[in-house]
Amino acid sequence: MKASADATEIVEAVKSGQVTARAVTEAALARIERHNPMLGAFTDVTAERALEQAELVDSKIRNAMDPGPLAGVPFAAKNLYDIKGIPTRAGSKINRDNPPAARDATLVSRMEAAGAVLLGGLNMDEYAYGFTGENAHDGPSRNPHGLDRMTGGSSAGPAAAVAGGLVPLSLGSDTNGSIRVPASFCGLFGLKPTYGRLSRAHSFPFVSSLDHLGPLARSTRDLALAYDAMQGFDEADPAQTKRVNELTFARLKHPIPGLRIAVAGDYFLGAPEVQAEVQKVAKALEVTKTVTLPDAQAARAAAFLITMAEGATLHLERLRERPDDFDPEVRDRLLAGTMLPAVWVERAQKLRRVFRDRVLKLFDGVDAILAPATPMKAPLLGQKTAMFGGVELPVRPNLGIFTQPISFIGLPVVTVPMWQDGEDLPIGVQVIAAPWREDVCLRIAHQLETAGVCKAPVAQGFAD
Amino acid sequence: MAYKPFDADALIDAAAPLLQLRIAPEHRAGIKLNLKTASKMAAVVEQIRLDDDAEPAPVYRA
Repeated sequence: MKASADATEIVEAVKSGQVTARAVTEAALARIERHNPMLGAFTDVTAERALEQAELVDSKIRNAMDPGPLAGVPFAAKNLYDIKGIPTRAGSKINRDNPPAARDATLVSRMEAAGAVLLGGLNMDEYAYGFTGENAHDGPSRNPHGLDRMTGGSSAGPAAAVAGGLVPLSLGSDTNGSIRVPASFCGLFGLKPTYGRLSRAHSFPFVSSLDHLGPLARSTRDLALAYDAMQGFDEADPAQTKRVNELTFARLKHPIPGLRIAVAGDYFLGAPEVQAEVQKVAKALEVTKTVTLPDAQAARAAAFLITMAEGATLHLERLRERPDDFDPEVRDRLLAGTMLPAVWVERAQKLRRVFRDRVLKLFDGVDAILAPATPMKAPLLGQKTAMFGGVELPVRPNLGIFTQPISFIGLPVVTVPMWQDGEDLPIGVQVIAAPWREDVCLRIAHQLETAGVCKAPVAQGFAD
Repeated sequence: MAYKPFDADALIDAAAPLLQLRIAPEHRAGIKLNLKTASKMAAVVEQIRLDDDAEPAPVYRA
Protein backbone atom coordinates (compact mmCIF):
# COMPACT_ATOMS: atom_id res chain seq x y z
CA MET A 1 0.00 0.00 0.00
CA LYS A 2 1.17 3.49 -0.75
CA ALA A 3 1.81 5.96 2.06
CA SER A 4 -1.10 7.99 0.73
CA ALA A 5 -3.66 5.18 1.18
CA ASP A 6 -6.23 6.04 3.80
CA ALA A 7 -7.51 3.55 6.36
CA THR A 8 -10.73 2.86 4.47
CA GLU A 9 -8.76 1.99 1.33
CA ILE A 10 -6.48 -0.31 3.35
CA VAL A 11 -9.45 -2.11 4.90
CA GLU A 12 -10.97 -2.73 1.45
CA ALA A 13 -7.65 -4.04 0.10
CA VAL A 14 -7.00 -6.28 3.11
CA LYS A 15 -10.53 -7.68 3.25
CA SER A 16 -10.59 -8.40 -0.48
CA GLY A 17 -7.26 -10.19 -0.31
CA GLN A 18 -5.38 -7.74 -2.56
CA VAL A 19 -2.82 -7.31 0.20
CA THR A 20 -2.15 -8.91 3.56
CA ALA A 21 -2.25 -7.05 6.87
CA ARG A 22 1.33 -8.24 7.35
CA ALA A 23 2.48 -6.57 4.11
CA VAL A 24 0.70 -3.34 5.10
CA THR A 25 2.34 -3.47 8.52
CA GLU A 26 5.79 -4.16 7.12
CA ALA A 27 5.48 -1.26 4.69
CA ALA A 28 4.46 1.08 7.52
CA LEU A 29 7.35 -0.13 9.70
CA ALA A 30 9.75 0.53 6.80
CA ARG A 31 8.40 4.08 6.41
CA ILE A 32 8.82 4.69 10.14
CA GLU A 33 12.41 3.48 10.00
CA ARG A 34 13.15 5.72 7.03
CA HIS A 35 11.36 8.93 8.00
CA ASN A 36 10.99 8.95 11.77
CA PRO A 37 14.53 10.20 12.50
CA MET A 38 13.59 13.32 10.52
CA LEU A 39 10.01 13.72 11.80
CA GLY A 40 10.39 12.88 15.51
CA ALA A 41 6.91 11.35 15.49
CA PHE A 42 7.40 7.95 17.16
CA THR A 43 9.01 7.52 20.58
CA ASP A 44 8.29 3.78 20.77
CA VAL A 45 7.80 1.33 17.90
CA THR A 46 5.97 -1.90 18.76
CA ALA A 47 7.05 -3.88 15.69
CA GLU A 48 6.78 -7.36 17.17
CA ARG A 49 3.33 -6.75 18.59
CA ALA A 50 2.22 -5.19 15.30
CA LEU A 51 3.31 -8.20 13.27
CA GLU A 52 1.49 -10.53 15.69
CA GLN A 53 -1.71 -8.50 15.39
CA ALA A 54 -1.36 -8.40 11.59
CA GLU A 55 -1.01 -12.18 11.57
CA LEU A 56 -4.19 -12.46 13.64
CA VAL A 57 -6.06 -10.31 11.10
CA ASP A 58 -4.69 -12.34 8.18
CA SER A 59 -5.60 -15.63 9.85
CA LYS A 60 -9.18 -14.43 10.36
CA ILE A 61 -9.39 -13.59 6.67
CA ARG A 62 -7.92 -16.97 5.72
CA ASN A 63 -10.54 -18.65 7.91
CA ALA A 64 -13.44 -16.58 6.52
CA MET A 65 -13.95 -14.85 9.90
CA ASP A 66 -14.81 -11.15 10.18
CA PRO A 67 -11.48 -9.32 10.70
CA GLY A 68 -13.25 -6.14 11.89
CA PRO A 69 -14.03 -2.73 10.39
CA LEU A 70 -10.40 -1.57 10.72
CA ALA A 71 -8.81 -4.76 9.43
CA GLY A 72 -5.09 -4.28 8.93
CA VAL A 73 -5.05 -0.50 9.45
CA PRO A 74 -1.77 0.68 10.99
CA PHE A 75 -2.24 3.25 13.74
CA ALA A 76 -0.30 4.75 16.64
CA ALA A 77 -1.18 6.56 19.85
CA LYS A 78 0.16 9.63 21.63
CA ASN A 79 2.46 8.35 24.36
CA LEU A 80 0.04 9.25 27.13
CA TYR A 81 -2.10 6.26 26.09
CA ASP A 82 -1.15 3.13 28.02
CA ILE A 83 0.52 0.54 25.81
CA LYS A 84 0.97 -2.74 27.64
CA GLY A 85 4.63 -3.41 28.41
CA ILE A 86 5.86 0.19 27.91
CA PRO A 87 6.08 2.93 30.57
CA THR A 88 3.53 5.64 29.74
CA ARG A 89 5.89 8.59 29.52
CA ALA A 90 3.31 11.27 28.62
CA GLY A 91 6.10 13.27 27.05
CA SER A 92 8.00 13.47 30.32
CA LYS A 93 11.38 12.34 31.59
CA ILE A 94 9.96 11.54 35.03
CA ASN A 95 7.25 9.06 33.99
CA ARG A 96 9.59 6.87 31.99
CA ASP A 97 10.88 5.64 35.38
CA ASN A 98 7.41 4.18 36.02
CA PRO A 99 6.83 0.46 35.58
CA PRO A 100 5.60 -0.63 32.16
CA ALA A 101 1.83 -0.27 31.67
CA ALA A 102 0.01 -3.41 32.80
CA ARG A 103 -2.64 -3.07 30.09
CA ASP A 104 -3.64 -1.02 27.07
CA ALA A 105 -5.73 2.14 27.13
CA THR A 106 -9.38 1.37 26.44
CA LEU A 107 -9.30 3.12 23.07
CA VAL A 108 -6.18 1.22 21.97
CA SER A 109 -7.94 -2.04 22.89
CA ARG A 110 -11.03 -1.02 20.94
CA MET A 111 -9.01 -0.11 17.85
CA GLU A 112 -7.28 -3.49 17.96
CA ALA A 113 -10.55 -5.31 18.59
CA ALA A 114 -11.73 -3.70 15.34
CA GLY A 115 -8.72 -5.15 13.51
CA ALA A 116 -6.37 -2.15 13.57
CA VAL A 117 -2.64 -2.72 14.12
CA LEU A 118 -0.84 -0.66 16.76
CA LEU A 119 2.62 0.44 15.64
CA GLY A 120 3.71 2.38 18.72
CA GLY A 121 3.67 5.49 20.89
CA LEU A 122 3.97 9.06 19.61
CA ASN A 123 5.80 12.18 20.74
CA MET A 124 4.00 15.00 22.54
CA ASP A 125 4.50 18.16 24.60
CA GLU A 126 5.45 17.23 28.14
CA TYR A 127 2.38 16.16 30.14
CA ALA A 128 0.24 17.58 27.27
CA TYR A 129 0.85 21.11 28.58
CA GLY A 130 1.78 22.92 25.36
CA PHE A 131 0.72 23.75 21.83
CA THR A 132 4.12 23.65 20.08
CA GLY A 133 5.15 19.99 19.74
CA GLU A 134 8.57 20.87 21.12
CA ASN A 135 9.69 18.32 23.70
CA ALA A 136 12.69 19.05 25.92
CA HIS A 137 13.49 15.35 26.39
CA ASP A 138 12.69 13.64 23.08
CA GLY A 139 13.26 16.54 20.73
CA PRO A 140 10.56 18.23 18.65
CA SER A 141 8.18 16.63 16.25
CA ARG A 142 8.72 18.28 12.88
CA ASN A 143 5.97 19.40 10.55
CA PRO A 144 6.09 17.22 7.41
CA HIS A 145 4.89 20.19 5.34
CA GLY A 146 7.88 22.30 6.45
CA LEU A 147 10.54 20.57 8.51
CA ASP A 148 11.64 23.82 10.16
CA ARG A 149 8.05 24.38 11.37
CA MET A 150 6.17 23.32 14.50
CA THR A 151 3.68 20.49 14.25
CA GLY A 152 1.63 22.14 16.95
CA GLY A 153 0.77 20.21 20.07
CA SER A 154 0.33 18.64 22.27
CA SER A 155 -0.64 15.77 19.91
CA ALA A 156 2.52 16.50 17.93
CA GLY A 157 3.64 12.99 17.00
CA PRO A 158 0.10 11.96 16.05
CA ALA A 159 0.01 14.82 13.54
CA ALA A 160 3.55 14.30 12.20
CA ALA A 161 2.97 10.55 11.77
CA VAL A 162 -0.21 11.00 9.73
CA ALA A 163 0.86 14.01 7.65
CA GLY A 164 4.19 12.25 7.00
CA GLY A 165 2.42 9.12 5.73
CA LEU A 166 3.83 6.84 8.42
CA VAL A 167 0.32 5.72 9.44
CA PRO A 168 -3.12 6.75 8.14
CA LEU A 169 -4.64 7.13 11.60
CA SER A 170 -3.47 8.23 15.02
CA LEU A 171 -4.97 8.82 18.44
CA GLY A 172 -4.43 12.11 20.26
CA SER A 173 -5.83 14.00 23.21
CA ASP A 174 -7.34 17.46 23.40
CA THR A 175 -7.70 19.42 26.65
CA ASN A 176 -7.57 22.94 25.23
CA GLY A 177 -6.92 22.29 21.53
CA SER A 178 -4.29 19.57 21.42
CA ILE A 179 -5.90 17.66 18.55
CA ARG A 180 -7.17 20.71 16.68
CA VAL A 181 -3.99 22.84 16.79
CA PRO A 182 -1.70 20.14 15.31
CA ALA A 183 -4.41 19.15 12.81
CA SER A 184 -4.43 22.80 11.71
CA PHE A 185 -0.64 23.11 11.39
CA CYS A 186 -0.15 19.73 9.71
CA GLY A 187 -3.15 19.88 7.35
CA LEU A 188 -5.20 17.02 8.80
CA PHE A 189 -8.75 16.17 9.75
CA GLY A 190 -9.05 15.95 13.53
CA LEU A 191 -12.03 15.00 15.67
CA LYS A 192 -12.45 16.21 19.22
CA PRO A 193 -15.64 14.47 20.29
CA THR A 194 -18.10 15.71 22.91
CA TYR A 195 -16.70 15.73 26.47
CA GLY A 196 -17.56 12.34 27.92
CA ARG A 197 -18.09 10.57 24.60
CA LEU A 198 -14.94 8.42 24.36
CA SER A 199 -13.36 6.62 27.30
CA ARG A 200 -10.16 8.14 28.66
CA ALA A 201 -9.46 5.12 30.86
CA HIS A 202 -5.82 4.04 31.09
CA SER A 203 -4.46 7.19 29.52
CA PHE A 204 -2.30 9.60 31.53
CA PRO A 205 -4.53 12.53 32.52
CA PHE A 206 -3.86 16.26 32.41
CA VAL A 207 -7.01 18.22 33.38
CA SER A 208 -9.82 15.84 34.22
CA SER A 209 -12.47 18.57 33.78
CA LEU A 210 -11.38 19.20 30.20
CA ASP A 211 -9.58 16.10 28.85
CA HIS A 212 -10.88 14.50 25.64
CA LEU A 213 -9.41 11.77 23.42
CA GLY A 214 -9.92 11.48 19.66
CA PRO A 215 -8.48 10.57 16.25
CA LEU A 216 -6.50 12.40 13.54
CA ALA A 217 -6.62 11.26 9.92
CA ARG A 218 -6.22 12.25 6.27
CA SER A 219 -9.88 11.64 5.37
CA THR A 220 -13.22 12.23 7.01
CA ARG A 221 -14.28 8.64 6.37
CA ASP A 222 -11.27 7.46 8.37
CA LEU A 223 -12.20 9.76 11.26
CA ALA A 224 -15.71 8.30 11.24
CA LEU A 225 -14.46 4.73 11.00
CA ALA A 226 -12.11 5.12 13.96
CA TYR A 227 -14.61 7.12 15.99
CA ASP A 228 -17.30 4.48 15.53
CA ALA A 229 -14.89 1.71 16.57
CA MET A 230 -13.95 3.55 19.77
CA GLN A 231 -17.45 4.39 21.04
CA GLY A 232 -19.04 2.54 23.94
CA PHE A 233 -19.50 2.92 27.67
CA ASP A 234 -16.53 2.19 29.92
CA GLU A 235 -17.14 2.42 33.64
CA ALA A 236 -13.42 3.02 34.20
CA ASP A 237 -13.88 6.65 33.05
CA PRO A 238 -16.20 8.41 35.52
CA ALA A 239 -16.84 11.29 33.11
CA GLN A 240 -18.07 9.04 30.33
CA THR A 241 -21.58 9.12 28.96
CA LYS A 242 -23.98 6.19 29.06
CA ARG A 243 -25.55 7.27 25.78
CA VAL A 244 -25.95 4.56 23.22
CA ASN A 245 -23.40 4.48 20.41
CA GLU A 246 -24.27 6.85 17.60
CA LEU A 247 -22.49 5.53 14.53
CA THR A 248 -21.40 7.94 11.83
CA PHE A 249 -19.54 6.10 9.06
CA ALA A 250 -22.57 4.68 7.27
CA ARG A 251 -24.34 8.05 7.37
CA LEU A 252 -21.39 10.17 6.28
CA LYS A 253 -22.67 10.71 2.76
CA HIS A 254 -26.22 11.46 3.81
CA PRO A 255 -26.86 15.17 3.51
CA ILE A 256 -28.57 16.79 6.45
CA PRO A 257 -31.68 18.52 5.14
CA GLY A 258 -32.11 22.18 6.03
CA LEU A 259 -28.77 22.42 7.75
CA ARG A 260 -28.24 25.82 9.39
CA ILE A 261 -24.64 26.96 9.72
CA ALA A 262 -23.14 30.23 10.95
CA VAL A 263 -19.69 31.78 11.20
CA ALA A 264 -18.48 32.71 14.70
CA GLY A 265 -17.92 36.46 14.88
CA ASP A 266 -16.31 38.90 17.31
CA TYR A 267 -13.77 37.04 19.48
CA PHE A 268 -13.28 34.39 16.77
CA LEU A 269 -12.39 36.81 13.96
CA GLY A 270 -8.88 35.86 12.88
CA ALA A 271 -6.28 37.82 10.96
CA PRO A 272 -7.32 38.48 7.33
CA GLU A 273 -5.43 35.48 5.91
CA VAL A 274 -6.97 33.23 8.57
CA GLN A 275 -10.47 34.60 8.14
CA ALA A 276 -10.18 34.16 4.37
CA GLU A 277 -10.07 30.39 4.89
CA VAL A 278 -13.11 30.49 7.19
CA GLN A 279 -14.93 32.47 4.52
CA LYS A 280 -13.90 29.93 1.85
CA VAL A 281 -15.62 27.22 3.91
CA ALA A 282 -18.62 29.48 4.54
CA LYS A 283 -18.97 30.22 0.84
CA ALA A 284 -18.81 26.53 -0.08
CA LEU A 285 -21.59 25.82 2.41
CA GLU A 286 -23.57 28.91 1.35
CA VAL A 287 -23.37 30.33 4.86
CA THR A 288 -24.23 33.97 5.35
CA LYS A 289 -25.17 34.09 9.02
CA THR A 290 -22.83 35.19 11.83
CA VAL A 291 -23.29 34.37 15.51
CA THR A 292 -21.57 35.64 18.62
CA LEU A 293 -20.48 33.24 21.33
CA PRO A 294 -21.03 35.48 24.35
CA ASP A 295 -18.12 35.99 26.74
CA ALA A 296 -15.75 33.78 24.75
CA GLN A 297 -12.73 35.67 26.02
CA ALA A 298 -13.75 35.01 29.62
CA ALA A 299 -14.39 31.37 28.73
CA ARG A 300 -10.88 31.06 27.41
CA ALA A 301 -9.49 32.72 30.54
CA ALA A 302 -11.48 30.33 32.73
CA ALA A 303 -10.16 27.30 30.81
CA PHE A 304 -6.65 28.68 31.31
CA LEU A 305 -7.10 28.88 35.10
CA ILE A 306 -8.76 25.46 35.47
CA THR A 307 -5.93 23.97 33.43
CA MET A 308 -3.23 25.56 35.57
CA ALA A 309 -4.86 24.50 38.83
CA GLU A 310 -5.86 20.94 37.93
CA GLY A 311 -2.56 20.32 36.15
CA ALA A 312 -0.67 21.57 39.21
CA THR A 313 -2.71 19.39 41.54
CA LEU A 314 -1.94 16.35 39.40
CA HIS A 315 1.81 17.01 39.46
CA LEU A 316 2.29 18.38 43.01
CA GLU A 317 4.36 15.45 44.30
CA ARG A 318 6.59 15.47 41.23
CA LEU A 319 7.03 19.25 41.56
CA ARG A 320 8.19 18.74 45.14
CA GLU A 321 10.52 15.86 44.43
CA ARG A 322 11.87 16.32 40.89
CA PRO A 323 11.38 19.93 39.76
CA ASP A 324 14.55 19.90 37.69
CA ASP A 325 13.41 16.91 35.65
CA PHE A 326 10.48 18.82 34.10
CA ASP A 327 10.62 20.78 30.87
CA PRO A 328 11.37 24.23 32.38
CA GLU A 329 8.44 25.95 30.62
CA VAL A 330 5.98 23.33 31.84
CA ARG A 331 7.44 23.30 35.37
CA ASP A 332 7.12 27.06 35.87
CA ARG A 333 3.48 27.06 34.76
CA LEU A 334 2.67 24.12 37.00
CA LEU A 335 4.47 25.63 40.00
CA ALA A 336 2.49 28.84 39.48
CA GLY A 337 -0.66 26.73 39.21
CA THR A 338 -0.15 25.33 42.72
CA MET A 339 -0.51 28.85 44.11
CA LEU A 340 -3.74 30.03 42.47
CA PRO A 341 -6.45 31.14 44.92
CA ALA A 342 -9.25 28.57 45.06
CA VAL A 343 -11.86 31.25 44.36
CA TRP A 344 -10.34 31.91 40.93
CA VAL A 345 -10.74 28.27 39.98
CA GLU A 346 -14.18 27.77 41.48
CA ARG A 347 -15.42 30.89 39.72
CA ALA A 348 -13.99 29.58 36.47
CA GLN A 349 -15.94 26.32 36.96
CA LYS A 350 -19.14 28.30 37.57
CA LEU A 351 -18.52 30.33 34.44
CA ARG A 352 -18.15 27.07 32.55
CA ARG A 353 -21.77 26.20 33.20
CA VAL A 354 -22.99 29.75 32.49
CA PHE A 355 -21.05 29.87 29.19
CA ARG A 356 -22.38 26.41 28.26
CA ASP A 357 -25.97 27.51 28.82
CA ARG A 358 -25.49 30.65 26.73
CA VAL A 359 -23.80 28.86 23.84
CA LEU A 360 -26.31 26.00 23.79
CA LYS A 361 -29.05 28.58 23.21
CA LEU A 362 -27.30 29.46 19.94
CA PHE A 363 -27.92 25.90 18.76
CA ASP A 364 -31.65 26.60 18.80
CA GLY A 365 -30.99 28.64 15.67
CA VAL A 366 -28.01 26.88 14.05
CA ASP A 367 -26.73 23.32 13.69
CA ALA A 368 -23.06 24.14 13.30
CA ILE A 369 -20.65 27.01 13.81
CA LEU A 370 -17.45 27.73 11.85
CA ALA A 371 -14.36 29.25 13.47
CA PRO A 372 -10.61 29.27 12.82
CA ALA A 373 -8.65 26.50 14.54
CA THR A 374 -5.49 28.54 15.06
CA PRO A 375 -4.65 32.25 14.83
CA MET A 376 -1.77 31.53 12.42
CA LYS A 377 -0.13 28.87 10.28
CA ALA A 378 2.67 26.76 11.78
CA PRO A 379 5.34 28.94 13.44
CA LEU A 380 9.01 28.14 13.05
CA LEU A 381 10.44 25.69 15.58
CA GLY A 382 11.83 27.73 18.45
CA GLN A 383 9.81 30.81 17.53
CA LYS A 384 8.88 32.64 20.74
CA THR A 385 6.64 35.50 19.61
CA ALA A 386 4.30 36.34 16.73
CA MET A 387 1.91 39.11 15.76
CA PHE A 388 -1.63 38.52 17.04
CA GLY A 389 -4.10 41.24 16.07
CA GLY A 390 -1.26 43.67 15.42
CA VAL A 391 0.36 43.03 18.81
CA GLU A 392 3.52 40.98 19.35
CA LEU A 393 2.68 38.24 21.89
CA PRO A 394 4.26 34.97 23.07
CA VAL A 395 3.47 32.10 20.67
CA ARG A 396 3.18 29.31 23.22
CA PRO A 397 0.09 30.34 25.22
CA ASN A 398 -1.73 31.97 22.30
CA LEU A 399 -1.96 29.17 19.75
CA GLY A 400 -5.09 27.87 21.47
CA ILE A 401 -7.13 31.04 21.70
CA PHE A 402 -9.76 29.78 19.22
CA THR A 403 -9.88 26.20 20.46
CA GLN A 404 -9.97 26.76 24.22
CA PRO A 405 -13.47 28.27 24.54
CA ILE A 406 -14.93 25.32 22.59
CA SER A 407 -13.33 22.46 24.54
CA PHE A 408 -14.10 24.42 27.73
CA ILE A 409 -17.74 23.40 27.26
CA GLY A 410 -17.00 20.10 25.58
CA LEU A 411 -18.60 20.70 22.17
CA PRO A 412 -17.75 18.26 19.36
CA VAL A 413 -15.49 19.65 16.63
CA VAL A 414 -13.97 18.45 13.39
CA THR A 415 -11.02 20.48 12.13
CA VAL A 416 -10.86 20.67 8.33
CA PRO A 417 -7.54 21.44 6.58
CA MET A 418 -7.47 24.44 4.23
CA TRP A 419 -4.77 25.47 1.77
CA GLN A 420 -4.30 28.88 0.19
CA ASP A 421 -3.36 28.84 -3.49
CA GLY A 422 0.38 28.47 -3.85
CA GLU A 423 0.94 28.05 -0.11
CA ASP A 424 2.83 25.08 1.31
CA LEU A 425 1.43 25.45 4.83
CA PRO A 426 -2.18 24.67 5.74
CA ILE A 427 -4.49 26.10 8.37
CA GLY A 428 -7.54 24.49 9.93
CA VAL A 429 -11.13 25.59 10.31
CA GLN A 430 -13.25 24.24 13.17
CA VAL A 431 -16.68 22.83 12.37
CA ILE A 432 -18.44 22.93 15.76
CA ALA A 433 -21.77 21.32 16.63
CA ALA A 434 -24.08 20.89 19.61
CA PRO A 435 -23.18 18.24 22.20
CA TRP A 436 -23.40 14.64 20.93
CA ARG A 437 -23.72 15.77 17.29
CA GLU A 438 -20.38 14.49 16.05
CA ASP A 439 -22.38 13.27 13.05
CA VAL A 440 -23.11 16.89 12.07
CA CYS A 441 -19.43 17.88 12.23
CA LEU A 442 -18.37 14.81 10.28
CA ARG A 443 -21.02 15.12 7.58
CA ILE A 444 -20.22 18.80 6.99
CA ALA A 445 -16.49 18.01 6.87
CA HIS A 446 -17.18 15.16 4.45
CA GLN A 447 -19.23 17.45 2.23
CA LEU A 448 -16.36 19.95 2.14
CA GLU A 449 -13.83 17.21 1.41
CA THR A 450 -15.96 15.73 -1.39
CA ALA A 451 -16.35 19.20 -2.93
CA GLY A 452 -12.56 19.65 -2.89
CA VAL A 453 -12.72 22.59 -0.50
CA CYS A 454 -10.38 20.90 1.99
CA LYS A 455 -7.91 18.06 1.73
CA ALA A 456 -5.25 16.31 3.82
CA PRO A 457 -2.48 14.98 1.57
CA VAL A 458 0.68 13.24 2.72
CA ALA A 459 3.37 15.92 2.67
CA GLN A 460 5.58 16.20 -0.39
CA GLY A 461 8.73 14.20 0.06
CA PHE A 462 6.93 11.62 2.19
CA ALA A 463 4.43 10.30 -0.38
CA ASP A 464 5.57 7.39 -2.54
CA MET B 1 -12.70 43.55 38.76
CA ALA B 2 -10.09 45.47 36.82
CA TYR B 3 -6.66 43.89 36.75
CA LYS B 4 -4.36 45.24 39.43
CA PRO B 5 -0.68 44.32 39.39
CA PHE B 6 0.24 42.40 42.51
CA ASP B 7 3.35 41.30 44.35
CA ALA B 8 3.99 37.82 42.91
CA ASP B 9 7.11 37.43 45.05
CA ALA B 10 5.01 37.81 48.20
CA LEU B 11 2.58 35.11 47.02
CA ILE B 12 5.42 32.73 46.15
CA ASP B 13 7.14 33.34 49.49
CA ALA B 14 3.91 32.69 51.41
CA ALA B 15 2.57 29.75 49.39
CA ALA B 16 5.72 27.73 48.69
CA PRO B 17 6.41 26.72 52.36
CA LEU B 18 2.72 25.93 52.86
CA LEU B 19 2.83 23.62 49.82
CA GLN B 20 6.27 22.21 50.74
CA LEU B 21 7.72 23.42 47.46
CA ARG B 22 11.33 24.44 47.13
CA ILE B 23 11.59 27.31 44.69
CA ALA B 24 15.03 27.46 43.09
CA PRO B 25 16.14 31.03 42.37
CA GLU B 26 16.35 30.29 38.64
CA HIS B 27 12.69 29.11 38.60
CA ARG B 28 11.28 32.25 40.21
CA ALA B 29 11.11 34.50 37.16
CA GLY B 30 9.09 31.94 35.18
CA ILE B 31 6.70 31.35 38.06
CA LYS B 32 6.15 35.09 38.52
CA LEU B 33 5.41 35.53 34.83
CA ASN B 34 2.85 32.73 34.94
CA LEU B 35 1.21 34.06 38.12
CA LYS B 36 0.85 37.47 36.53
CA THR B 37 -0.74 35.94 33.44
CA ALA B 38 -3.10 33.94 35.68
CA SER B 39 -4.09 37.05 37.62
CA LYS B 40 -4.98 38.80 34.36
CA MET B 41 -7.09 35.79 33.35
CA ALA B 42 -8.83 35.83 36.75
CA ALA B 43 -9.65 39.51 36.25
CA VAL B 44 -11.27 38.70 32.89
CA VAL B 45 -13.33 35.90 34.48
CA GLU B 46 -14.44 38.15 37.34
CA GLN B 47 -15.91 40.62 34.90
CA ILE B 48 -18.72 38.15 34.22
CA ARG B 49 -21.46 38.50 36.79
CA LEU B 50 -22.56 35.20 38.30
CA ASP B 51 -25.87 34.67 40.07
CA ASP B 52 -25.80 33.20 43.56
CA ASP B 53 -27.38 30.01 42.27
CA ALA B 54 -24.76 29.47 39.56
CA GLU B 55 -23.62 25.84 39.92
CA PRO B 56 -20.04 24.90 39.13
CA ALA B 57 -19.71 22.64 36.09
CA PRO B 58 -18.51 19.31 37.55
CA VAL B 59 -21.36 17.54 39.28
CA TYR B 60 -20.71 14.52 41.47
CA ARG B 61 -23.18 11.73 40.97
CA ALA B 62 -23.49 9.16 43.73
